[in-house]
Amino acid sequence: MAENNTSLFHEFKKGLWQDIPPFRLVLGTCPALAVTNSVINGVSMGLATLFVLLSANIIISAIRKYVTSQVRIGVYVVIIALLVTVTDLFLAAEFPPISKALGPYVPLIIVNCIILGRAEAFAQRNPVVPSIMDALGMGIGFTMSLFTMGLIRELLGFGSILKVKILGGWFEPWIVMILPAGAFMVFGGLVALVNYITHRRSGT
Amino acid sequence: MKLIMIFISASLINNFVLTYFLGICPFLGVSNKTENALNMGLATTFVMTLTAAVTWPLYTYVLVRFNVPFLEYVAFIITIAALVQFVEMYIRKSSPALYRALGIYLPLITTNCAVLGLALFMVLRDYNYLQSIIFGFATGVGFTIAMLMMSGIREELEFADVPRHFRGTSITLIIAGMMALAFMGFAGLMSG
Amino acid sequence: MNNVTKMFLNLIIVGAFSGAVLAWVFHLADPLIQANREKELKESIFKVLPEAKDYRKAEKGLAGENIVVYLGLDEDKKPVGVAFKADGGGFQGNVGVMVGLDLEYQSLKGVEILDQLETPGLGDRIRETEFKEQFKGVEVRPRLEYIKYRKPEKPNQIQAITGATISSKAVVTNINKAVEKVLAAFPQGEISTIPAEAAAPEASPHETGGDR
Repeated sequence: MAENNTSLFHEFKKGLWQDIPPFRLVLGTCPALAVTNSVINGVSMGLATLFVLLSANIIISAIRKYVTSQVRIGVYVVIIALLVTVTDLFLAAEFPPISKALGPYVPLIIVNCIILGRAEAFAQRNPVVPSIMDALGMGIGFTMSLFTMGLIRELLGFGSILKVKILGGWFEPWIVMILPAGAFMVFGGLVALVNYITHRRSGT
Repeated sequence: MKLIMIFISASLINNFVLTYFLGICPFLGVSNKTENALNMGLATTFVMTLTAAVTWPLYTYVLVRFNVPFLEYVAFIITIAALVQFVEMYIRKSSPALYRALGIYLPLITTNCAVLGLALFMVLRDYNYLQSIIFGFATGVGFTIAMLMMSGIREELEFADVPRHFRGTSITLIIAGMMALAFMGFAGLMSG
Repeated sequence: MNNVTKMFLNLIIVGAFSGAVLAWVFHLADPLIQANREKELKESIFKVLPEAKDYRKAEKGLAGENIVVYLGLDEDKKPVGVAFKADGGGFQGNVGVMVGLDLEYQSLKGVEILDQLETPGLGDRIRETEFKEQFKGVEVRPRLEYIKYRKPEKPNQIQAITGATISSKAVVTNINKAVEKVLAAFPQGEISTIPAEAAAPEASPHETGGDR
């Protein structure tokens, strides 16, 4: 039983650093670039993705014995689309400003490779509880990554965090951070940073 | 005139990859060799044009007619998955040579955010049928242009001394950032 | 059960289940979403007519189109201005603007950008306060104009956002078109006397009987 717990924890942990999306596990890059122009947008997208990932993993793992192999992609994709539509409707109803800010990137969660990727690689051949762990780890890791990117971009691009001006009038915002170019460069920089840290940790 | 504007806007000024971050996965993954980049670009453009041609009537004559707009995402993604499947089967039967060149990329196109993105934008912007098809084609062309530019640069980069931690994904992203900056120069193209 | 049947069964079950769940969730969410839209409309009216505390809606058909205006009222129920939506194509899609105009149809009291799909970081800067503030007090007669690269030189000009001329122009064009339509449908003298039959939604009398 202890062994079970260690391995469950491992499934959870790997998404937090070792296989963190999108920096080490290069999936889910589109939203990482598109909606990280502010902290709140990045975190909202991360949480929305976490919700879909968790639900998808649970459902797909639960029905894994009944799905015919040839149509599994079609089945998974419909389930994911269903979950995303529900999420989209929920946001539009309860959090309209966030729904507007995230815009068309919410439906694009459907093709966020993280979700289909985890379904294919993990949920369809593992029981429900490990699948939950996997989803939680990946989802939280993804949210943390989006938070970091959002933090950098909002701080340097607007001088604020969560819309609160942190840097005073002396700071001339780096508008490029809000623009696509800045997004790419911050992402690239962070990937390099993560590579560096991993490298240092493993002691050459 | 509007058609030309749509074309130039979608392929250059608001390039799907460099402005809207759609299609990044293949952009990072398949852009290392020009030949692969071109094949992926062409296959994707074909699927995108076809997607526009099929999803527009689906939306206009089915989803709107029967008042079920909330089925948009489900319907679109099924259509895209089915289209890709049919295209793959057709190419496999009709031209084995083409299949050998493009075949492996096709399943990846289903999850290419650019394809679903194009369908979503088409609806949001209220394009008519002809505009939608041009839009689908143009976004594919833009995607291909971005892919080719990136592959050209990356092939050159193989001879450069990239710092260790930047190799691979990281440097590609930074280059993409510079490309995005450069493409911003197109912004004034249509203001006249 | 052979494989093909299983495949079809998979798809049909998943499809039917998804459809049913979505229809149910939509049924729950739609009223909330509509309510949000109403709220946004109301808030934008008060934003573009800062002195208004209440408003009255009026519609008139003109050349096949339904022209809707909102007459802003202060706390003494006196008209302070009219608000109306200005829609039209921008660079990427519809640009929806809520316009606040004074009663003399002379100058703007404010604008609010409701919907836009313009280029992130460039065209979508029409949402920024700086751009919108320019419109306060700008004259719309003979028509609103925009100028590039310099501060406005005439009382009916605003400065376009550098690099986002088309989006800025779209806002100006849409406002001009809408002002024309409102002027045609509700001639100046008439506007302050819009009858009370189009009562503001907030002022609903207490309903007797009937529960939610």
